[in-house]
Order: sequence, then structure tokens, then C-alpha cells
Amino acid sequence: MKEYELDCYGEACPVPLVKAQNKLKELEVGDVLIVQIDHSCAMKNLPEWARKEGHNVEVEEVDDGEWEVVIEKVK
Amino acid sequence: MGIKDNKYYKEWIKDAWPYLTGAILLSVFQIVTLATTGNPWGVSGVLANWGAWLYEAAGGSVDKWYYFSSEGARRTLEGGFLNHGGSIRNLGIIIGALVAVLLASGFKIKKIKSWKQIAAAVLGGLLMGYGARIGFGCNIGALYSGIASFSLSGWVFGIFIFLGAIVGSKLLVKLFM
Repeated sequence: MKEYELDCYGEACPVPLVKAQNKLKELEVGDVLIVQIDHSCAMKNLPEWARKEGHNVEVEEVDDGEWEVVIEKVK
Repeated sequence: MGIKDNKYYKEWIKDAWPYLTGAILLSVFQIVTLATTGNPWGVSGVLANWGAWLYEAAGGSVDKWYYFSSEGARRTLEGGFLNHGGSIRNLGIIIGALVAVLLASGFKIKKIKSWKQIAAAVLGGLLMGYGARIGFGCNIGALYSGIASFSLSGWVFGIFIFLGAIVGSKLLVKLFM
């Protein structure tokens, strides 16, 4: 079960979402992708998409205006 | 129990409000704007005046420009920033957004990732500004207020902004991935 980090600080929607989608394809089931974002719309649309795909998602606020979206690939 | 754990803080200040709430509030405020100023809500026209004032402050002159040649436009320019209702409203929007994000502890100055980003932002901004003036409005003045006023041009604007966004999105994926 490996952990991958995706630094999307400073990137505007929909770049974090598309990058996360592409990166998640490379992961194996059980791997975890941590997407670092600072855009509030990505904070909404990224977990929404990941949950719709069936993955486990947790959003942590790490600092003012910064979030880490932790996605566990489930299938 | 700190304020961050208070459920009212979370619902009203921290988390985003529902889309429906936003839609209703926007409608209420644009009705107020139309009733008090006699004009529908607009944002980009104000920015053209800001540009003119900055240009004049830097020593330039817009006296011969067709865009500012009408009586009303001249009077607005001469009246200055503080006398201009639209300018105060735009300033209010900027300050309001800042206050909202500060209260939610979400203020962050984001770093720039690459020169490509700067170039894209400058080019995109110039196109948006240009388009907003020849279209007599932006997504607010031409699209939102246009449709609210039952104007066909609002719908036409909407269709083409959608098509433009498709092209822009494809370029974004191609150049920034």
C-alpha cells in the first residue's frame, strides 16, 4: 500500500482534478493519493468526483486556505 | 470548545453556502441594484472606468476616445472614483470577498508555478477585458443581467461563452498537464 503526493498548490480548477484523475489511473488498488490543493473549488469537486468513483476520501485542512485530499483507491 | 468547533461558525462562516442560497441572494441584490441605480448589475463597465482613471493618473488622456465621448461617460469620469456608484459596488465586492475568506481562515496568497501561468493569465485577462467591452458586458452584465431582462443577447452570449470555455479547457489540459 503505497502513498503518493500530488502538489497542486497554485493551480486553478480544473487542473488539480484532471491531474488527480490521471495519477489515480496509475495507482494500484489500496494505494493512497494525497492531493495538495489551495483552491476552494477543487476542495469541493475533487472529493465529489473521487467519491462518485467509489473511492474513500478524506479532506484535511492543513493551513489557511490549504487542503490535503486523501484518496484511497478502492477499485 | 473553540469557535472552530461551533456548528454555527461552520455552517455560516466556514463552509460554503448552498448554491440555492447563493442564487436567491444574488437575485435579491440585483433587484436592489436595479431599483436604486436604475441600471442592471454590471462589473466590467466599471473596470473600463478604472482603466481610464489609471491611464489619466499616469498622464494619459482619453478625451478623444469614442468610448468616453458621450455626455454621461464624460460626467462619470470627471466625477471620479468615490462618486461612482458602480466603483463603490465593485470595491464592496472585493472587500466582501476578502472579509469572507478571512473569517473562514482561508486566506492564502498562492504562489505562481510557472511563466506559462503568468503568460496565460495575462493573455486570458486581456481577452476577457476586450470581449467584455465589445460584448457590452461580462458574465454578469451581458449574461446574467441580459437574461434577467429578457434580452435574447444574453442567451447568445451564454452559448458562446460555453463554446469558448470548451476551447479554453482543451487548451488548458494540453498546455498545463
